[in-house]
Amino acid sequence: MEAKYTLGIDVGSTTSKCVIVKDGQEIVSKSLVSVGAGTSGPERAIKEVLDNCGMKKEDMSFILGTGYGRNSLDIVDDQMSELSCHARGAYYLFPEVHTVIDIGGQDMKVLQIDNGVMVNFQMNDKCAAGTGRFLDVMARVLEVKVAELGDLGAKSTKRVAISSTCTVFAESEVISQLAQGSDMHDIINGIHHSIAARMSGLARRVGVRDQVVMTGGVAQNVGVVAALEEELGHKVYTSPLAQYAGALGAALFAYQKATRKK
Amino acid sequence: MSIESMISELASVAAHPGKQLANFKAQGKKVIGIMPYYAPEELVHAAGMVPMGLWGSNDKTISLAKEYCATFYCTIAQLGLEMLLDGTLDQLDGVITPTICDTLRPMSQNIRVAMAKYEKMPTIFLAHPQNRKPAYGLKFCVDQYTNVRKALEEISGAPITDEAIQNAIKVYNKSRAARREFVKLASEHCDVITPTKRSAVLKASWFMLKDEYTEKLEALNEELRKLPVCDWKGVKVVTSGIICDNPALLKIFEDNNVAIAADDVAQESRSFRADAPEDQADPMMALAMQFASLDYDVLLYDEHSSENRRGEYVANMVKENGAQGLIVFMQQFCDPEEMEYPSLKKALDEAGVLHIKLGIDQQMRDFGQAATAIQAFADVLKSL
Repeated sequence: MEAKYTLGIDVGSTTSKCVIVKDGQEIVSKSLVSVGAGTSGPERAIKEVLDNCGMKKEDMSFILGTGYGRNSLDIVDDQMSELSCHARGAYYLFPEVHTVIDIGGQDMKVLQIDNGVMVNFQMNDKCAAGTGRFLDVMARVLEVKVAELGDLGAKSTKRVAISSTCTVFAESEVISQLAQGSDMHDIINGIHHSIAARMSGLARRVGVRDQVVMTGGVAQNVGVVAALEEELGHKVYTSPLAQYAGALGAALFAYQKATRKK
Repeated sequence: MSIESMISELASVAAHPGKQLANFKAQGKKVIGIMPYYAPEELVHAAGMVPMGLWGSNDKTISLAKEYCATFYCTIAQLGLEMLLDGTLDQLDGVITPTICDTLRPMSQNIRVAMAKYEKMPTIFLAHPQNRKPAYGLKFCVDQYTNVRKALEEISGAPITDEAIQNAIKVYNKSRAARREFVKLASEHCDVITPTKRSAVLKASWFMLKDEYTEKLEALNEELRKLPVCDWKGVKVVTSGIICDNPALLKIFEDNNVAIAADDVAQESRSFRADAPEDQADPMMALAMQFASLDYDVLLYDEHSSENRRGEYVANMVKENGAQGLIVFMQQFCDPEEMEYPSLKKALDEAGVLHIKLGIDQQMRDFGQAATAIQAFADVLKSL
């Protein structure tokens, strides 16, 4: 029987990710472009993911969109919420998962999973505190790259307390700490714990059950993951594919839809 | 008239309250603005004037009201004042300002000061009793309603007779019954009465004379009764909160095949749950008794609050109306709703009722996050 290829595209607020899977099982290509909804990102990510495996759009049995920009994609056959897709992607990566923590560019979510199906969830209020945007703002103030925050925070010897209530307040706290001569590494450690405190509060509303898996771009930040483990008292699993979890879940759902169509 | 035409007519009223106000004035009627919550509109009706609900706005931006309001006033109250200041409501002949929550209490004074400063209109202060049921609570309520009655008489220029109030009670009871019936029919025919249409039909009641509104609604109900009960393939939810009337937000329900089975919304069902008794010799006491009979409301003191009766009531509402979950519209800076939420969540969790809480305010123009949450919630409910 001819193989079926399906494409998932996750258009977030800050990045566009694509994943192609073969027969709903094997990841054959992925791409990531560092701009998201309302930019050229989605188009470029699609071109890249197809070029990477030498395939064309016409080779795809089904294309499913997800993420903040899911409603503005002409190319997709259908769209689903990123919560469902992250749950599906996380289940593919970690079949024992029961709790998914996803910190994206502008929101944070906790998903409760039973047998691979999302059964409950919580999202943050309309506020940037605790999201990827929070880290972007802090990195700018500290004059470092977001990607460097994890390693820099690991060099901390003590933690500086940073507010978890509001990005704007936290930004002025960081500026104030810098003005007082606090060590940058300790400030970064405080920032990671600020996010973790916010996230763990949200997670407890749903209930935290092992395995806890973190998805989304912020999962690459080892400092946030470590702080989250400390705050939650649970091991937090991540994957090099964490940032692709939404697109992966979309590609897997796309396969379900492609086979259901027949 | 077709069902669609009937709905369109009411939806047009809901979307253009300013036009309604101008029409009433053109007919030589006096119009009284009614701030939330629980003002005895019957007295306005009995005075031969038109009560018009002031529930903020989904289109305006708060600007002039900022001079009077702290940041933590809810947008409904602030936008009410905004419209009183910016000329939108200049044709009103007066405004009743109930004071049931911590925002409306100071807001009543902001409105009084502002309306006096600009010589716009008289304001009618209304304090409801916290203890609604005991005899002293009923007497306090009658006293307060009597103040309102006198103030309305001054505006209308004629006494309000007991007979007129008795008649208004009948008009309002009939209207409340029709709206309760509509809510039930809207669930049975959720393929026809979509969330945006449901909201518009109910919202129109705030901007029409109740007798006229009820006549139109009863005609719509009659047509709906003739339809077969729909075999709904999507999910059904109960909505809860102060207000949920933004068409852009409700459209998200429709996009995801989410129907509304019933509501616990202050601007909707909470405002027509209880009737006033028609067999009371004193109609003022009948109105006080109607207020006293309102239960399971975030805004009203419950003498059995330690039992979490309201939480259980809402959880049961979900189960009894064939809904799979609850969507809470948490109005930003609404202290009563926010403080009550942990009790509500506890009752919902204990009853096994899934819910989501969406933070909203009337100045929101982008509902991207709400769309994600509603779509994901629909996915969860479908998998049950």
